[in-house]
Amino acid sequence: MKKLFCAFLLVASASIFTAQAKAQVIVIANPSVKTTEISKNDLKDVFTGAVTALPGGGSVVPILLKAGTVHEEFLQAYIGKNDTAYRAGWRSLVFSGQASMPKSLETDAAVVEFVAHNTGAIGYIGKASPHEGVKVLAVR
Amino acid sequence: MRLVVRGLMAGAMLTALTLSICLHAQEFKIGSKEVQVHGFGTQGFIHTNGNNWLTMNTNGVGSGAFTDAGLNLGIQINSKLRIGGQVYDRKLGKLGDWHPLLDWATLDYRPKPWLGFRGGKVKTVLGLFTDTQDMDFANTFALLPQSIYPIDLRDSTIAHLGGDIYGQQKLPHHLGTVVYTAYGGHRSDSMHSGYPYLLSSFGIQLTSLGGPVFGGDFRWRTPVRGLVVGVSRMNEQIKGIGISTIGPGGAPITPPTSYEEHSKHDWTNQYYGQYTANRWHAESEYRRYVRDQMIANGAQESLVDVRGWYVSGGFRVCKWFEAGSYYSHYRNASALGINPNGTVATDFAARDFDKVLAGKVTVNQYMTVKVEGHFMSGFANQPYPNGFYSTVNPNGFVNNTNALVVRTGFSF
Repeated sequence: MKKLFCAFLLVASASIFTAQAKAQVIVIANPSVKTTEISKNDLKDVFTGAVTALPGGGSVVPILLKAGTVHEEFLQAYIGKNDTAYRAGWRSLVFSGQASMPKSLETDAAVVEFVAHNTGAIGYIGKASPHEGVKVLAVR
Repeated sequence: MRLVVRGLMAGAMLTALTLSICLHAQEFKIGSKEVQVHGFGTQGFIHTNGNNWLTMNTNGVGSGAFTDAGLNLGIQINSKLRIGGQVYDRKLGKLGDWHPLLDWATLDYRPKPWLGFRGGKVKTVLGLFTDTQDMDFANTFALLPQSIYPIDLRDSTIAHLGGDIYGQQKLPHHLGTVVYTAYGGHRSDSMHSGYPYLLSSFGIQLTSLGGPVFGGDFRWRTPVRGLVVGVSRMNEQIKGIGISTIGPGGAPITPPTSYEEHSKHDWTNQYYGQYTANRWHAESEYRRYVRDQMIANGAQESLVDVRGWYVSGGFRVCKWFEAGSYYSHYRNASALGINPNGTVATDFAARDFDKVLAGKVTVNQYMTVKVEGHFMSGFANQPYPNGFYSTVNPNGFVNNTNALVVRTGFSF
């Protein structure tokens, strides 16, 4: 019984540490974006195609990661959908003529590179990835 | 039955193959502008044990004449300007008949979040799903509730040639966001859709059906996260022109005479709500459709007064499986009482109450397979169709119909 309890504690602790380790996504934007912070709701609106501009921040263009832990974590934390449902939502907009599919890039470095050189671009990367040339938006 | 299953499996494999080829052709460039290419397609199979349904011979072995596909090109010129278009084709029993249509083609300019303009052939916003009803991959159900989204009458609400003004505005004090669309233009139905098919059973061959349409949609994303409520209105002036080949009593007319019908009143009101939370979603809509038409060159008046509503819900059990159910309630109030031929209509002839259980398997982000059971009471079919047609039920209708629907689809 004691062993079982210890095992449970071990698994629970591991889960907590894993969850903490996962909270490693940052939102980045081109320096032209006129804001330093963004609300969770606005972030969701931008990345689901509901809006194409931020309040006081001008036009924005969302940039996605193709796959990976950072991408999954971003969707889980801010969009509330898995990748399949998320992309299906975008395809609905595309096929009904309401939006273009956002650009999806392979790596954090590619996202940083694109965001740094394109006006209004906004993306997300792992916290540990280098991100020179872009601004980090605080998510409220 | 075994042959049909094999056919479906072959179709699924062909779809997967097509998909893998298409996935490598999603983008190309014109000058410095990236052109996106997207597409979707579905293959369905329906088996019924009551009436033949949706113009297919679904009784007995069943029918696989249930296919559609769309191909889409789009260019984002800049953050405010976008152009694009989509071709759509389908075969649904006797409808569609592989005659490709320009589904939409628009120039979209949105200078402000609260103000945008779309012009060209534009998808019509009417309720929750009119403009996205073909996107099988996005819906839980193989067939949306037919009381509101009759697949045989898709053409009558899907798009208009004209323009939209649209936008959204956040409300102060965290009261949510309002989204609006106002539109005007001209609707033009395919001659391979449900109503012309219905008229053909009376010896009337339409050559055009359509007219001016205007309306709007207003929805409120409430402060309750995931809850949207809204209302839509559509007004139309529809005119049908063609020839009549059969006279009163069924005698052939030689040579055929010209035929005309036109609207006295034609409008739709729709009210809706949707709630999504984590793995759950629930929707409900009510639509009233009034269509007061002078038919037979103005000699006769035909009133349709449809009251339809549904309640639906879905739950994502795991990453790849979602279960759902809905109850769809269709009643043509004008058909209660006297039929156009003077006989007293039974309640079953004026209604279609459909209970549905559904399962959706997401194979990967490009492919889905759905299986659902329909348990229908009624066969509403005149003077305006709703899935049941006498042409494919020459021996008359039975009151109840159960259906098994299997549909697989891909999108990229």
